[in-house]
Amino acid sequence: MLQKREKVLLLRTFHGRTLRIVREHYLRPSVPCNSPLCPQPATCHNGQGPDGKLLSSDVTHYMVPDWKVVQDYLEILDFPELKGIVFMQTACQAVQRQRGRRQYNKLRNLLKDARHDCVLFANEFQQSCYLPRERGESMEKWQSRSIYNAAAWYYHHCQHRMPIVMVTEDEEAIQQYGSETEGVFVISFKNYLDNFWPDLKAAHELCESILQSRRERENESQESHGKEYPEHVPLEVLEAGIKSGRYIQGTLNVNKHRAQMEAFVRLQGASSKDSDLISDILIHGMKARNRSIHGDVVVVELLPKSEWKGRTAALGESDGDDRAPGESLSEPMPTGRVVGILQKNWRDYVVTFPSIEEVQSQGKNAQKILVTPWDYRIPKIRISTQQAEALQDFRVVVRIDSWESTSMYPNGHFVRVLGRIGDLEGEIATILVENSISVVPFSEAQMCEMPVNTPENPWKVSSQEEQERKDLRKTHLVFSIDPSGCEDVDDTLSVRALDNGNLELGVHIADVTHFVAPHSYIDIEARTRATTYYLADRRYDMLPAILSADVCSLLGGVDRYAVSVMWELDKTSYEIKKVWYGRTIIRSAYKLFYEAAQDLLDGNFSVVKDIPEFKDLEERSRQAKLEELVWAIRKLTDIARHIRAKRDRCGALELEGVEVCIQLDEKKNIHDLIPKQPLEVHETVAECMILANHWVAKKIWESFPHQALLRRHPPPHQEFFSELRECAKAKGFFIDTRSNKALADSLDNANDPNDPIVNKLLRSMATQAMSNALYFSTGSCAEEEFHHYGLALDKYTHFTSPIRRYSDIIVHRLLMAAISKDKKMEIKENLFSNKDLEELCRHINNRNRAAQHSQKQSTELFQCMYFKDKDPETEERCISDGVIYSIRTNGVLVFIPRFGIKGAAYLRNKDGLVISCGPDGHSEWKPGSLQRFQNKITSTTTGGESVTFHLFDHVTVRISVQTSRCHSDTIRLEIISSKPHMTPDTELFQQSPLLLKSDLVKEVTRSVEEAQLAQEVEVNITEDYQKYCQTKGRSLYTLLEEIRDLALLDVSNSYGM
Amino acid sequence: MAGLELLSDQGYRVDGRRAGELRKIQARMGVFAQADGSAYIEQGNTKALAVVYGPHEIRGSRARALPDRALVNCQYSSATFSTGERKRRPHGDRKSCEMGLQLRQTFEAAILTQLHPRSQIDIYVQVLQADGGTYAACVNAATLAVLDAGIPMRDFVCACSAGFVDGTALADLSHVEEATGGPQLALALLPASGQIALLEMDARLHEDHLEQVLEAAARASRDVHTVLDRVVRQHVQEASVLLGD
Repeated sequence: MLQKREKVLLLRTFHGRTLRIVREHYLRPSVPCNSPLCPQPATCHNGQGPDGKLLSSDVTHYMVPDWKVVQDYLEILDFPELKGIVFMQTACQAVQRQRGRRQYNKLRNLLKDARHDCVLFANEFQQSCYLPRERGESMEKWQSRSIYNAAAWYYHHCQHRMPIVMVTEDEEAIQQYGSETEGVFVISFKNYLDNFWPDLKAAHELCESILQSRRERENESQESHGKEYPEHVPLEVLEAGIKSGRYIQGTLNVNKHRAQMEAFVRLQGASSKDSDLISDILIHGMKARNRSIHGDVVVVELLPKSEWKGRTAALGESDGDDRAPGESLSEPMPTGRVVGILQKNWRDYVVTFPSIEEVQSQGKNAQKILVTPWDYRIPKIRISTQQAEALQDFRVVVRIDSWESTSMYPNGHFVRVLGRIGDLEGEIATILVENSISVVPFSEAQMCEMPVNTPENPWKVSSQEEQERKDLRKTHLVFSIDPSGCEDVDDTLSVRALDNGNLELGVHIADVTHFVAPHSYIDIEARTRATTYYLADRRYDMLPAILSADVCSLLGGVDRYAVSVMWELDKTSYEIKKVWYGRTIIRSAYKLFYEAAQDLLDGNFSVVKDIPEFKDLEERSRQAKLEELVWAIRKLTDIARHIRAKRDRCGALELEGVEVCIQLDEKKNIHDLIPKQPLEVHETVAECMILANHWVAKKIWESFPHQALLRRHPPPHQEFFSELRECAKAKGFFIDTRSNKALADSLDNANDPNDPIVNKLLRSMATQAMSNALYFSTGSCAEEEFHHYGLALDKYTHFTSPIRRYSDIIVHRLLMAAISKDKKMEIKENLFSNKDLEELCRHINNRNRAAQHSQKQSTELFQCMYFKDKDPETEERCISDGVIYSIRTNGVLVFIPRFGIKGAAYLRNKDGLVISCGPDGHSEWKPGSLQRFQNKITSTTTGGESVTFHLFDHVTVRISVQTSRCHSDTIRLEIISSKPHMTPDTELFQQSPLLLKSDLVKEVTRSVEEAQLAQEVEVNITEDYQKYCQTKGRSLYTLLEEIRDLALLDVSNSYGM
Repeated sequence: MAGLELLSDQGYRVDGRRAGELRKIQARMGVFAQADGSAYIEQGNTKALAVVYGPHEIRGSRARALPDRALVNCQYSSATFSTGERKRRPHGDRKSCEMGLQLRQTFEAAILTQLHPRSQIDIYVQVLQADGGTYAACVNAATLAVLDAGIPMRDFVCACSAGFVDGTALADLSHVEEATGGPQLALALLPASGQIALLEMDARLHEDHLEQVLEAAARASRDVHTVLDRVVRQHVQEASVLLGD
């Protein structure tokens, strides 16, 4: 039975009066202790929490951290090596009260994380652990006393079988409780680490650096002198201000190219409703930014109109100070200053320590060092460490602790070393950390959940599953079409004629959810990763290889579990009559390649001998089987054409195609996969997948109108198209952007017969103008907003690639629940509620964005490494043809089709000289001035010569690499001639832009490896290539999907604003 | 400072209860001798006193008399000292009028009014301390008082509130939980038949969740019934012991 106690609280009201409040407090005899040593697990209700977590049984002691330890050293407790941690509720509440929501959520996630061996003990609700606070006792003393008392109870509860170590920072507590109970030790945190984890070096270092930074902070606050920044306004005032419209809330976005000066605040929904602001708000200078960092949710106050400033349109680099004011500024825009920060979005930052010379110039304060983050948008961070010299040549991870108003820069502490500067592995690790991607190898606990499939112990279909699933092995001809060399086959197809003459089309997707149980370790890991990450030269799988390449993969000739969608179609009109969803067993008969399938479709049967499935058959049965397969492929293509035509009528955008292959080139390194002329089978497969996704979306939405995961693509803002329209006008084309259909049509028409690149650039501009497609929970937005603009479908989701996307796994679970709901069996407990799903969607969208960024950054890294070794003056490859695609006040943006590089080329150099071109087109730097027009820029020298660059002009550029110690290297372009580049083989390059990213990656990788393994050349490089090929061996549908994603990718204009 | 966490990940509420658990209920019947029926109830820190007079002749204007059933007259008031800040609450303000009407509806549904035509039953309820769920406490107190007065009823009327936080329905909200502004539903139930005497909610709640919240409130009301039933039996036993002497 519950016991009732009363707590008396004294609160201060808004009017300053003290208010006496009596709150009830109920105690119960048993609270889950979540220890495997518990004598009566049944009465304790152990393992009945939301995740059923228990402490592991192989620990030597339990550790109980005091409230102060939890507050200050949470990131050390975060180490997975530290096991058997019992967090007391008192400590958690202290964190919640005093450290804010961010820290508390971190703690909550830690407790929820099944991989981490820690539990919460609700001591304040346990009848013998609860101690009422005594009169005159300070909060701190009471908390320590409660925690100690609970620790002692826990020790007795486990029948003295497990020693307990209470870790505290309070010296008095150590004195007082140290020897009170046998088996319950009270020691300080430092002591604890020294005694129990002497080998855990990372934790020691982290502890050291936290201690040091805290000491510094204390010293500082004592000698607080002149303030650098105004204080933040208290939270209540901010909230009231936002409500009344005095302040505006938004997310801070720092301009990468003018990180010191410019930042923008993007408004958030509700707050902008009544004010008539449409554009972003400019925050000019560090002072106005008031200690907020890129990504923070801030509150802004607008400045009076007389102080508004314009944004800069010039290309970056010349660091702003010496420019004549107002010269290159655009129209004044709303300008404001930050008055408070609602939510800090600090993450781990990769930084570089200054080189020795710089350290010395920083002078007396050698203990405190200013380090430069890799990301331009993050201000320098002050670190106190003695290791500065040792860490000079490394990329290092740091965390920000605080930013006082008295300090110019934020204070941080050192966390760990990533790798050497310029080293491939180190740089890749940098990219991963900067995108918050963590890809540790799968742990043992996770692998234990995996099915076994070895030659001795092959994986088999279980008889129980055989009964529950629909067996398609005998009845259906199932086959897959993928790029050659593909290992993870998510999707297969089937088509057959039914007895009544109608057709049955089937899409069968790998049944990943059968192997990945909800809330299992592997599920949690996959959820955290959310997607498979593809970098330029490697990939990080979402699921272990045993699933992705073996048991889940729908390979040819073996039995596999699948989730199928099957439609019954009318024999002539192909109208959908019926649809069936369910779990099946299939055996894929053929694992075809695109090229082979296309040949079969075209009636070219010479490829038959290349298809392994046909090899061992005798002539007659081969013929019969071949005919059957060819019929199926033909029928499928026919059906796909019909569906496609129907979708086209609604205005589906045709952004895939040759043009986007080039786009793909820039960011993704899969060029050799893309045929020059896309085959029709590609479209066929893609269409079937879109159909399946669409129907699944409809089904889950109908069954779970408020908690289904769908994907939407909001229509783009018309104003974003203005640049596209202007550019097209320069070439005499008219682009109609009013609807997706009009846009698609006018893009098709905008084709310059002399210069195919124009159309490609226009299309890539169109893609950039569009917003991202997003996952969302149907409960969180109105039904009109579900629409998918690019595909012209009212509902869409991702269902067909569960091996490499977590969203698909969720959709599979939803679909299964929807089916069982039809059968009146409710399996709802494994589904997410709307709120959780919304949270999850945000996470997946976030991770997808991180995946795209990391891919882009890694490609840029490889490009730079490729050009780094070349001497730009002599190497022929560094000189190339480029097309101008945008005009800025002091330069132009150039696209180089041969390498797929986009970059800025300056027309005015650092000394203020402008470019001038002689009659033969070769350029020199001379004094003069620049004049910018709508679609051209003219450079006039003092001598009166002038040269004009128009949009879409071809110029010759030299590519070089600008190296940077603290940041990533960047590609630099320099116009060396205003004429197109005319080497004899230019034509050849234009036809097949085949110095491709893949070759480039291989070359860089090889040189890196050669450098590293100079002594052991024997290492089988080809094997590695094999692996990389695997990276690219994804189904073409995936690829087309990615193109679509790409179309929606936030390709933030990479150079200049 | 982070906002109050109404329901922790471990499933505890602010005061240590789990989602479906009630606050401690203590009640006594027959606290005043001069009234026909009276009762006092404590639900957690919410304390209410109910007094019943009747059935008796119509007082005041005879025109109010109903030819076929008794008139149920309810009055609600809350003490000036019932909340943390002392505040004068004049009679006849909107809140207490509304509460009076709700009580009247509840008891017209439960009392067998047709047995006493042209007569009047008065129910007076006063809240001495308010800590959430005042309506429920009033109904429960009044039920006991009506029983004490010996007025025939169809069944006990048991009331309880329920709220909705993070996808979970919470039974019997305390003041802290009410004050955060989530939806709150008040239910008065005739437990034996499962009929609803009154259902009231004035916040927005999605239709999908209604069933869940209603279910939680109904279960809590049945739990209240068990407690009240025990109180009545004990009272009757005490009374009969006294009579037997």
